[in-house]
Formats: sequence, C-alpha cells, structure tokens
Amino acid sequence: MAQDALTDTTSEPEAETELKRSITGRLLYFYVLGDVLGSGIYVLIGLVAGAVGGAFWLAFAVGVSIATITGLAYAELVTKYPKAAGAALYVNKAFGNTFLTFLVTVCMLSASFAAAGSLATGFAAYFAQVWAVPPSLLVAVLFIVLLALVNFIGITESVVLNMLMTFVEIAGLVLVLGIGIWFVAGGDANFGVLTEFTTEGNEIFAIIAGVALAFFAMTGFENAANVAEETINPSKTFPRALVGGMVTAGVIYVLVAITAALTVPIDTLAGSDAALLEVVRAGIIPVPVGVMVILFAVIAMIAITNTTLVAVVTESRILYGMAREDVVPAVFAKIHPSRRSPYIALIFAALVVSGLLFAGAGLQSIGVGLDVIARLATVTVVFTLFIYALVIIAALKLRGTHESEDTYRANTPLLYLGILGNAVLLAYVLIDDPSSLWWCGALLALGFALYAIEYFFGTRDRPPGHERGDPSELRSAPEKGE
Amino acid sequence: MRVIVTTDGSKQSLAAARHLRSFADPDKITDILVLAVIRPLAAVAFADELSAPDRKRADTTSLSFREAAQSAVDAIAEDLADWGPKIVKQIRSGSPANEIIKAATQREAGLIVVASGGRGLSDNVLVGSTAQRVQHYAPCPVLVVRPAPRKRGTRRSAKGKGT
Repeated sequence: MAQDALTDTTSEPEAETELKRSITGRLLYFYVLGDVLGSGIYVLIGLVAGAVGGAFWLAFAVGVSIATITGLAYAELVTKYPKAAGAALYVNKAFGNTFLTFLVTVCMLSASFAAAGSLATGFAAYFAQVWAVPPSLLVAVLFIVLLALVNFIGITESVVLNMLMTFVEIAGLVLVLGIGIWFVAGGDANFGVLTEFTTEGNEIFAIIAGVALAFFAMTGFENAANVAEETINPSKTFPRALVGGMVTAGVIYVLVAITAALTVPIDTLAGSDAALLEVVRAGIIPVPVGVMVILFAVIAMIAITNTTLVAVVTESRILYGMAREDVVPAVFAKIHPSRRSPYIALIFAALVVSGLLFAGAGLQSIGVGLDVIARLATVTVVFTLFIYALVIIAALKLRGTHESEDTYRANTPLLYLGILGNAVLLAYVLIDDPSSLWWCGALLALGFALYAIEYFFGTRDRPPGHERGDPSELRSAPEKGE
Repeated sequence: MRVIVTTDGSKQSLAAARHLRSFADPDKITDILVLAVIRPLAAVAFADELSAPDRKRADTTSLSFREAAQSAVDAIAEDLADWGPKIVKQIRSGSPANEIIKAATQREAGLIVVASGGRGLSDNVLVGSTAQRVQHYAPCPVLVVRPAPRKRGTRRSAKGKGT
C-alpha cells in the first residue's frame, strides 16, 4: 500500500476548517431562470389565453410583477438567513409559532407535489406531439418515476447539466420570439388583438383570472433557497441573481405571450394542449413544420424536466427535514448507503404525485374534474400565494433584526403592494374555484396524517427534554467542545 | 505523505478512516485532511450519520447541510485526533469526485481514503459512484474501503478495489 512515499513536509498555515462554497452568482442566476422558465409558459399559455383573450400578455406582466416583489422579500430574508429551508425558516423566525411553521412546511410540500403533477401532465402533452401512441397518463407517471430515479442516482448534482438545460429552455423561447419578429417584419401583424378581451364581463376580472393562472409560471423561484447555503457571498449575489433571473424570465414571458397572441388565433391557443407549439405550427418561417414541431416539443420537454427535477428535490428535502425533526415518520430521513439519497422520501413523493395524476384523470373520466393541468396549477398557486404572502409579512416583521450593513433591504411600499397582490389573487382563486380547496385539503390532510402517524407510533428518538418539532430547542443542542 | 480522508457522513467512511489507522504508520504521515463534499443540487446535499444523536438534530427550519458536513468532519477528525498526524478539516461543495481530486491535486496528497457505500444492487448496476470516479482520475493511490461482505456467504461481491 505504502509504495508511494511522496513526503511533503512543507506545511502552510491553514485555518482549522476551510469552507469552500461552489454556487457563483452566475450559476444561481441560471438556476433561477431555468427553474422559473420551465414551470409555466410551455404548459399554461393556452389556458391563460383562454381566460383573458388577446390581451393575455398583460396577465403575465402583472403575475410576473407580483412574483418579483415576493422575490425581493425572499432576497432580503436569504441574505439574513442563508439556509436551505426557505419559507419555513423565515416564518419560524418571524412568528415563532410551531403550528404555523408546520403548516407552512406542509404547504410548501403540497405546492411542490401539485406543481410536479401539473408539470408532468404538461410534459405528457408535449410528448404526445412526438409520439402519440402511449396514453398520456402513463407518460406522466413514468416521467415522475424516472425523475425520482434520476434524483436517486444523483445525476441532478451536475451544475453543468443544469446550465445546459437552461440554455435549451431559453433557446426554445428565443425561437418563438424569432418567429414573432419575422412575422411582424413581414407586416402581417394585427396589433389590435393585443388589447382584445374575450370575456363579456369586467376586464379587470378577466385579467385577474389570467394572472391567477399565469402566476404558476413564476412559481419555483423560491426553490433558489435550496442552494442559499452554498452560494458564494450570498448577501451580494443572491438578490441580484434571484431578481435578475425573475425579471429576465418575466420579460421573456411577456414577449412570448405577445408573439403567441399575434401569430395564432386566440381560440386555437386556448384549445391546444401544447399551445406554444401552435406558434411553430403556424408555418410562419420557411422551415418544414414537422421538423420544427418535433424540435420544439423536445425543447419544451427539457424545460419542463428541469423544473420538475427541482420540484422533486424540494419535496424530498422537505420530507427529509421533517423526518429529522420528528414531525413525520423517521423513514423519510433514511439515506441510501451508497447513493446518499433519501430513497424512501423519493419513492413516497413519486407515489403522491402519481396519486394526484390518477385522481385527476379519474375525476375527469367520470366528468367531475376539470383539466388536470389547470386543476393542479391552481392548487399550486393557492399554496404558493399563501406562503408568499406570509414570507413578505415575515420580511417586514423581521426588519431591524439580524441586520448587518450588507443585508439586502427590499423597498417597503413595494412589499405592502406585494402582500395586497398575493391576497387579492388568493381571494380570487378561492372564490372563483372553490373546488380546488378539496385538493388543497386532501394534500394538507396527508401532511397531518404523517404527523399523526409519527406522533402516535413514532419512536421518540429526539434528545430528552426537547419538544417535538421545536426548532429553538433543537438549536440549543449542546455543542461538543473541540 | 499527506493523506486525504473523505467522509460522506456514512458509517462506512468512519470505518475507512479506522482502517487507515489500523495499518498505516503515523510517523510517515505529515498531515491528514478530513474532507467532506456538499452536493448543492442533490436531493439531500449532505447527510450526517456519524455524530451523536444530540448533535445531528436538524429540523425543517434550520436544516443546514453545512452543519451536517461540519459535524461529520468533526466526528472523523476526533476519531483520528490521538493518532499523531496533524489534522486539517475542509468542507467543499460541488461534485464529490471532482472536489476530492481537486483537493488531492492542490495538496499533492500521497493517498486518498474513500468509503464505498453499498453492497446493494444499485452499487453494482449503476455506474458513476464517487469511489469509482476517484479511483479513475486520482493523482495518487486510492484506498477504497468497502463494507465487509455479508455472512450469508453465497454471494461474493467484487473486492480488492484498492490500488
């Protein structure tokens, strides 16, 4: 063994522990951009167009603005508390209420379950454009199972892969924009369509309806907190990368929405499962439509995959964290010995999302349910709006604590506007679509059921004297003297 | 010789450190770097199964993979503390194999100690585990410590991966 005697006696002075972080501002920017871009526009643009009419780009503009304001609050809180837990940590810091913290955690978990379900259905819709034979439910479920497997193996660790996927996503949207520019340059564009509303009723309500859906397109940015701990110089890079990524995504969204409205009749958009494909299919640029459709469908699938991967990571992290806290059964913290992945949590997450997909398809087939994408997107939006509003309130409440000179400080009136925006949207969604509450309730019930199982049957493996799930107690665990 | 002892927070990585200690001569080792690598984009960026229960308490709100990595590194360092060589601790983030190799190159290490976790199906079927990649690209010899084969006997897993 010791055939090598490379003795090197030069000992440079070193700190006792060196910390090397790896996420640069640029990587974080692409992480946010990739995560946000994949989640909505490919999946939802048809639904938003149907809800609003030709002016649906406005819905994206408003949705993006409200989400970006929320992003400011996240940026402020991340610079104060650069930990992976995100909203749950901020709410706990601000309110110190164990139940509220638990509720927010369960909401975060439910939101990513619903988002993954919606995205998987969207994936299946684009997949059908390439190969229409397998039933879409099967494709969606296999997609989720495959992503769980990918996370188990650990392919997602690759930062380079993540960036490549983001570039592909941007390429797809640039392609759409290019078609739009070509079309406008050709002089056929009728800009009048951009101010048209399909609904007879109040135009404000039409926009709110669109915003409520378009909001789904912006969700996902909060997952940037996943890598907060590993970000180099977070107080500087985090606000810039997060807000920069969201604004970039927002501008792309609005431009793409305008392009879609100009090039494709609104009813075609509204009636399509894979609405952005209609722009390509309109045959505006002189490239064979068949090739373009397949190319674009593949790009869309990559975009959706990127975002869903992050959702699956978030789900398993939340379950892992809760299991370590003794809030849900300890099996969710089980780590595979060689892969170092929480395999039980990954399997469970895949099962829940598949369950949502089957339930959605089942309800639809007996004629009760609505479109699965829209339904699960709405459920995601309900949960995220609730979380976002609480996070902004937490940001305001935590003003003056844990601040240093390089803490990022969001504009206060904007934050109040953000609370108002989130609250109005939440109220609208709940009044407009009360049946989504059943889904929300079911997901919350699942969280509480896991808690109950742990409470009644779980082993008491937390240290003596520590309250279940009380973070402040856990925090004060005795430190080993070194 | 400078040695790098890696830990992924697993019990097996502690076994690997102890294995090194069981045969190597501490007088020939100038220093030992105890290294943990956090995987920022993985489902669980770092899981610590080494430290005492009261230390590994994490929770949803303060879930800190850095703290987990820190306590795993501390646990290994503590185990080697009275052996002799100077102990240096380091936590990196990124792809584990890459970071281990980078650290070895930077420090001109003479030996890398890694644990290879499983006996299970996934370790035999799926390629790309950290230990494998470290073996292939390391600038120095690598000691891969695998778990002892199960007593049941019939199945023999491939052994002797150490170089």
